[in-house]
Amino acid sequence: MALSGGVDRGSHSMDKSITLPPDEIFRNLENAKRFAIDIGGSLTKLAYYSTVQHKVAKVRSFDHSTKVSVQETDGDPLYEISVQEEITARLHFIKFENAYIETCLDFIKDHLVNTETKVIKATGGGAHKFKDLIEKKLKLKVDKEDEMTCLIKGCNFVLKNIPHEAFVYAKHADSEFRFQHTHPDIFPYLLINIGSGVSIVKVEAEDKFERIGGSSIGGGTFWGLGALLTKTKRFDELLQLASKGQHTNVDMLVKDIYGGAYGSLGLTGDLIASSFGKSATTDKEFSKEDMAKSLLHMISNDIGQLACLYAKLHNLTRVYFGGFFIRGHPVTMHTITYSINFFTKGEVQALFLRHEGYLGAIGAFLKGAEEDNPNQYSWGENYAGSSGLMSVSPELNPVQRARSGTFDMLEMDRLERQLVNLPLLQDPTSYIPDTVDLTEDVLAREYWLYCFEEALDGVVKRAIASQKDQPKAVERAEKFRQKYRHKLQTLRHQPLLSRRRMTWP
Amino acid sequence: MALCGVADTGSHSMDKSITLPPDEIFRNLENAKRFAIDIGGSLTKLAYYSTVQHKVAKVRSFDHSAKVSLQETDGDPLYEISVQEEITARLHFIKFENAYIETCLDFIKDHLVNTETKVIKATGGGAHKFKDLIEKKLKLKVDKEDEMTCLIKGCNFVLKNIPHEAFVYAKHADSEFRFQHTHPDIFPYLLINIGSGVSIVKVEAEDKFERIGGSSIGGGTFWGLGALLTKTKRFDELLQLASKGQHTNVDMLVKDIYGGAYGSLGLTGDLIASSFGKSATTDKEFSKEDMAKSLLHMISNDIGQLACLYAKLHNLTRVYFGGFFIRGHPVTMHTITYSINFFTKGEVQALFLRHEGYLGAIGAFLKGAEEDNPNQYSWGENYAGSSGLMSVSPELNPIQRARSGTFDMLEMDRLERQLVNLPLLQDATSYIPDTVDLTEDALAREYWLYCFEEALDGVVKRAIASQKDQPEAVERAEKFRQKYRHKLQTLRHQPFAYGSLTVRSLLDTREHCLNEFNFPDPYSKIKQKENDMALKYYLKVVKSVEELSWEQRQFNLVKGLLAGNVFDWGAKAVSDVLESDPEFGFEQAKQQLQERPWLVDAYNQWIERLKGPPHKCALFFVDNSGIDIILGVFPFIRELLIRGTEVVLASNSGPALNDVTNSELQILTERIAAMDPVIHAALKEDRLALVQNGSSSPCLDLSRLDKVLATVVRERGTDLVIIEGMGRAIHTNYYAMLSCESLKLAVIKNSWLADRLGGKIFSVVFKYEVPSKAQGQH
Repeated sequence: MALSGGVDRGSHSMDKSITLPPDEIFRNLENAKRFAIDIGGSLTKLAYYSTVQHKVAKVRSFDHSTKVSVQETDGDPLYEISVQEEITARLHFIKFENAYIETCLDFIKDHLVNTETKVIKATGGGAHKFKDLIEKKLKLKVDKEDEMTCLIKGCNFVLKNIPHEAFVYAKHADSEFRFQHTHPDIFPYLLINIGSGVSIVKVEAEDKFERIGGSSIGGGTFWGLGALLTKTKRFDELLQLASKGQHTNVDMLVKDIYGGAYGSLGLTGDLIASSFGKSATTDKEFSKEDMAKSLLHMISNDIGQLACLYAKLHNLTRVYFGGFFIRGHPVTMHTITYSINFFTKGEVQALFLRHEGYLGAIGAFLKGAEEDNPNQYSWGENYAGSSGLMSVSPELNPVQRARSGTFDMLEMDRLERQLVNLPLLQDPTSYIPDTVDLTEDVLAREYWLYCFEEALDGVVKRAIASQKDQPKAVERAEKFRQKYRHKLQTLRHQPLLSRRRMTWP
Repeated sequence: MALCGVADTGSHSMDKSITLPPDEIFRNLENAKRFAIDIGGSLTKLAYYSTVQHKVAKVRSFDHSAKVSLQETDGDPLYEISVQEEITARLHFIKFENAYIETCLDFIKDHLVNTETKVIKATGGGAHKFKDLIEKKLKLKVDKEDEMTCLIKGCNFVLKNIPHEAFVYAKHADSEFRFQHTHPDIFPYLLINIGSGVSIVKVEAEDKFERIGGSSIGGGTFWGLGALLTKTKRFDELLQLASKGQHTNVDMLVKDIYGGAYGSLGLTGDLIASSFGKSATTDKEFSKEDMAKSLLHMISNDIGQLACLYAKLHNLTRVYFGGFFIRGHPVTMHTITYSINFFTKGEVQALFLRHEGYLGAIGAFLKGAEEDNPNQYSWGENYAGSSGLMSVSPELNPIQRARSGTFDMLEMDRLERQLVNLPLLQDATSYIPDTVDLTEDALAREYWLYCFEEALDGVVKRAIASQKDQPEAVERAEKFRQKYRHKLQTLRHQPFAYGSLTVRSLLDTREHCLNEFNFPDPYSKIKQKENDMALKYYLKVVKSVEELSWEQRQFNLVKGLLAGNVFDWGAKAVSDVLESDPEFGFEQAKQQLQERPWLVDAYNQWIERLKGPPHKCALFFVDNSGIDIILGVFPFIRELLIRGTEVVLASNSGPALNDVTNSELQILTERIAAMDPVIHAALKEDRLALVQNGSSSPCLDLSRLDKVLATVVRERGTDLVIIEGMGRAIHTNYYAMLSCESLKLAVIKNSWLADRLGGKIFSVVFKYEVPSKAQGQH
């Protein structure tokens, strides 16, 4: 998926030069039905449902009824093995920059076989902007769904179906991401969606939510004020500037006013007394980095405080943060986390979601698929077809950034059986299946990654041997080797940006 | 005070060229002790305590013991009037820009006589910066006090002592400022102090407060970000830019995203979805004005929301806003108010404080004066020496801005008597003394301002005449005229300057100004002459009433009371008549009265009540001296006393117009007692008591009365309150609800007011009220 590293990602131009590799993205389009699209300010998220033909190995007992009882049947195998085709349901979610929307629509049109689909569910602020284009290209009627309803539906879905969906961010800890084991009962929770502005939504049940608050100081404010202050027009670059800045050059701290802490009020000297307070009375020039950092702190702290107050007021302890301001940016996750810790003195944890960017698309899709009752099944993430959590941290190398900035995927397989807790668990809410968390245990992680890589050759050999009769097996086994090795490499380089809680086999 | 209108008010340069007029600012420095200073980012607030020597008119009875009984003492005046010096305590607060601090310190050093003072209490962020300068100049040791403690102490003080301290701001209303009548219990409240940053403080008691929250997005952020965005370095100019801008050019609104309202979430299309959201993706240039406006909205809304959340979380409904971000700026008061209304859907009101800028200085001062126990006294704002609330609105004309930008003052006089509520108020928390709020009633305001200006010449003449023996009286009277006229002009443009503008505040301001120029009692001699004259008719009036049948007598007594009330120098129509025709007599006055039915006529109910059992005790708030008190009130209460009702006469503690003062009433009562055995016996048996009301106003605030009066009222089981005269029963208390029976009576001696009430001049108001049973029972 390391495609188009050098493509201009400016959101104003429609980039059609990209060539999409059909093996990797928009998979199973030929079986796709039920489309949904969520078009945000800069990213488009497409969702569709497909059926996947899989080869499955089936075993069947021979008919031993003529032979009597315990007697051994030497020479005859115990049971028969056959490979059959099985059809399973899969949800596909693809995220790409708005710049590629036309290319993608063309691609979908060319590959779409199923003609039953008449409608595409759409949500997001950009949905009306691209409505005509979508209808023209896909010949599907765009059916708008309420943005907030979709967001909440999507959030409920991932919290219920992906065990390690939510995580706590800790910049200076051994493992940046600490994944939370999802509680069986996900409600009630608070969702702080930081898009252009901020929406604070209390979710009490699958279909019961209320926007209890909001703020106009959000991602758009960081971007807008940041652009005015630094002449830097790109959100990512602003974050990059911020990550290099020193806010203390611009902010007035408690110690700048009182010479130290203001003990009787419990204010430490390093606390920001006034954001941009120094630029009020100083004539000097301020660096772009410092201003961006100060702005980032100002906005994150403000949202953090509002989140805490609403959480307290409504007696909620689970607070999830989402929206493009957060979306995988370590810088903003860090400042938000810091702010929440400061204001609640640790009582409330800031939680982030691995698939936060997909919530709207998932929700819109679910709205359109209600007759299939997707909520009554259990779903599992298909690791092979999902990109996993990628950091768009400005410190990351450009290849990684480009990749995460282009196509990101999530696939969810419908499980044939509905899954529940073992009723004998003493406390299902605190039960953690895995014994060692390799995201936290560095030594163990190194060993096991090495171990799995070492074992890969053997696994490939075994795979080929299992299908001696099929000449293509060698080629497929090679593809498997590449994919799994790539996954292992990704996990080695970004253990802290792991796509999921990494565990012992 | 219109000094240095063109002086550079930039806060970076030390401006020493200013010359301070000692008459106006830093008054009474020679008696000053206990200094406190609060140095903020741009303004310095200085506080000191002084004693003020005032001339007061005292009356003293001549020794009449040699002369026997009722015999008339022709030629000799009734009592002696002398002018004495009295010393009262005063708190002075002066606010000026930091640029003038050195000049001011020099000025203080030159004028400071008292050498007992060794220490100056200091607070505010700038206190340490100027510490050395202050110590060097004043030779006082700077003693730092905790900023937040001072702020809260000051806030408690003004809320307790200044009746119209807090106000609600309404940009588009008839009156921009709606003042709140202070509740007797000021706690608990939330104070949102918006300085560089924001502090959110919950105050639960005099010494109990907690900073429950705060934010770094405050005034410094507006200023700092504003300076970066617009290259405008001055806070005032940023506000001015903001007041001209259109935030919708910069902000992303809900409708910019969704094409209209987001109905299912209850978001209107005009709601700001993202502050500065448009500048994120648009390449165009934004105007300074628009950016400043957007910034202002962003910060005000944010603070508003935080305030609401903290108020809800702590279950507080009184939320006061202060700090330099607010300080008299209509633009910020408007946006904060809007935000609070939006977030609480009107459940919480944003309250602002008239003297918000002084809180720190007042608090620091109080910290230093704890041994004097300033909190145990009642204090009153001296209107003559206080600048009043000045708007620093950028729309104001430059002279006003310059003035407000230079020296602003507040003076608080210590009241000799501690003031409390009348225990008979039905609901002390909802009691509002004034009948008409002239800040809201523009027509009434215009009339009364005109009326007081018209009457000014007469008052000046009267003041001069009262001190004929003093040649400089003319000059002082002229100064008085200028000061009061200037106050009237200020009030015409800024009616909110001293809280709700009322007839009472106009009258009180005039009294304060007269006092300021040593005209403590311009009517003393007139009152003396009238009292003297009226006493001569007392027995005749009593006798003529006694001859009547019960029914006739009651009517005659009420008519006498009303006729007496015609004699009022305070009302312009009457002072005209009295001055041109001194023979205008009591009987003529009766004939001037409106025939029944009166404008408000509850006489029949009153008579029915009199046929019942006597009242236990009547509290009578008396009005004028002379014919009113002697020929109107005394025969009336004489009848009450005969019926078996105890009577408490409440009169002014200090002089106001021709109102009878407590000391005058003492003498008059003695003289009447000497003539009339009924009064004599009542006095002797303590069935007739004289108390002072604690006020020197022609009007009456039943929530600020002498503590002794309240005790007497309670002890005697008062079940009837009589309020007499336009000032006490019409301009104030007309709608006051009492928990016992009440009589409010007055003759409308002002044709405009009569017209307003639907009557003619000399219309009679006779209001008899009985509280409904449920309310009356205790």
